[in-house]
Amino acid sequence: MDAIELRGLTKRYGAVVGVEELTLGIGPGEVFGFLGPNGAGKTTTLRCLTGLLRPTAGHVRVLGMDPLADHRRVARELGYLPGELRLYPELTGAQTLDLLCSLQGRPCTRRAELCEWLGLTAAVLRRTVGGYSRGMKQKLGLVQALQHDPRLVVLDEPTEGLDPLVQETFFELMEQAAADGRTVLLSSHVLPEVQRACGRVAIVRDGRLVTVESVAALREARARRIRLTFGDGKGARPLGRAEQWAPRWEGDRVELLVPPSEVVGALRELLTLGVADVIVEEAGLDEAFLDLYRNGKAEGAAP
Amino acid sequence: MKTRWPLLWLALHRRRRMLMALVVGMVAFEALIVVVANTIAPGQLFSAGGKGPPSAYRAFSGSGGDVSIASYPGLLGAGLVHPFWIAMQLTAIGALAAAAVAADVESGTIELIMVRPVSRNRLLAERTAAVVIAALALNAAATLTVAAGVWLSPDIHRDVPLSGVFAAGLMGCGFALCLAGPALAVSAWGSRRAQVIGATIAIGAVGFALNFIALAWSKAAPLRFISPFHYYTPGDALAQGHVLWPQLGVLVGVGAVGLILGHALLMRRDLAP
Repeated sequence: MDAIELRGLTKRYGAVVGVEELTLGIGPGEVFGFLGPNGAGKTTTLRCLTGLLRPTAGHVRVLGMDPLADHRRVARELGYLPGELRLYPELTGAQTLDLLCSLQGRPCTRRAELCEWLGLTAAVLRRTVGGYSRGMKQKLGLVQALQHDPRLVVLDEPTEGLDPLVQETFFELMEQAAADGRTVLLSSHVLPEVQRACGRVAIVRDGRLVTVESVAALREARARRIRLTFGDGKGARPLGRAEQWAPRWEGDRVELLVPPSEVVGALRELLTLGVADVIVEEAGLDEAFLDLYRNGKAEGAAP
Repeated sequence: MKTRWPLLWLALHRRRRMLMALVVGMVAFEALIVVVANTIAPGQLFSAGGKGPPSAYRAFSGSGGDVSIASYPGLLGAGLVHPFWIAMQLTAIGALAAAAVAADVESGTIELIMVRPVSRNRLLAERTAAVVIAALALNAAATLTVAAGVWLSPDIHRDVPLSGVFAAGLMGCGFALCLAGPALAVSAWGSRRAQVIGATIAIGAVGFALNFIALAWSKAAPLRFISPFHYYTPGDALAQGHVLWPQLGVLVGVGAVGLILGHALLMRRDLAP
């Protein structure tokens, strides 16, 4: 049984589509990335999973239960970090954690350990949250999401506002969660974050699922970057069929992102243009992601 | 912070300074009314030139019957329907009803609360309890202040039994509930605290104006039935020395209907900013 199961999830706000026909399964113990630009429908999906939003249509199961009808049972096992974390500014950090722990109805066994990891000292926790920096608030958000040791962790843009050192700690926490067999759903528009923490990734665009791939497969399928140098100082020129890959010119050097299956054919044509030097390399995951968006390559892809 | 009712605690804790100020203000205001009533006889205050005040002034004495503002029950009743008293009730109820749901939705903190094993019933119940506690505190402050004044002043005590003061206090709680029910319904439906505060003010202030117009202008007389001030009549309770149960029933009934409506709306809505 999947830890999270979405079938045809649709959420509309009047005429505006939040998500449309989203079908997805996330296995127990999986660290899963949910990737897409702002406004793609990531947060809407997460809010449907946590029972905050009522889906317009479709089927949602979290740990085998309906997050609305069985809200209390689902929420007991859930740790959630909202994308835009809002806290009560007049409460201290400690009061905030106490309040949320009290609402959770479970002992918060991991609080001390998490606070120590994230550098939330007793002095910091005695201060009111209104005086916290963005990074401090995000740390508090991570502690409140994990302090009760949930089976399922849902994190919306978790590293937003965290400095690089604390980001490292966050990734260690994710590794630990994965090792402990917890299911983690991590939503982000930051590719390296997903690449580092997740085994599989779903990419959404305009409320629709573009593709679900393992990070390894996405790497495998990603575009190849071809760099050509003409060395004649004549600058940009027509590249024939290769124009479809949006060449980026810099003097008489050009860079293209070409799908793997097209590389040989493209090179065969490009080398007839009097190229002085050629470099072919794998594009980064972020470029693969941008490529999916730019070309709509996987449009209509089955999940 | 260890409490069995964290949502109730949170609502009151965040507004504790405002509530303290309102309670102190209520005590000071009612004390002033008692002092004025004790210093100058109401007949002297309102009957200069040998004429009594117009009948529409019953709106200011909190009476649906014949209690004139130029009497001790009428004057003390005026202190319990005075715009200052109304403003304090509206402030407390509006702020806490807004805090029930709408303010958390507006600020985004609802996400933190409602991803926990907290049912919507529990959210509404604890937040309603916060409104009720605030209303009880304000009305208790007013009632105890007036009761102390009546007990200390033989002149007033002759016309106003202490039982009447407590009956008026209970009617005040009914009035607060009558405002709170619809205000909570708006909060359960809305996403902005301004909507709740606006609705609370509309019910309170417009209700008062309607009652006054209905008493002053015979053609508008039927309008009084839709005003809470037609049923909230502390002047009558002070004069008669007992609770006017039918009127209290209407006030509590409106509050209960508002609460039931709020519950139905909350069950159906999305809870996200």
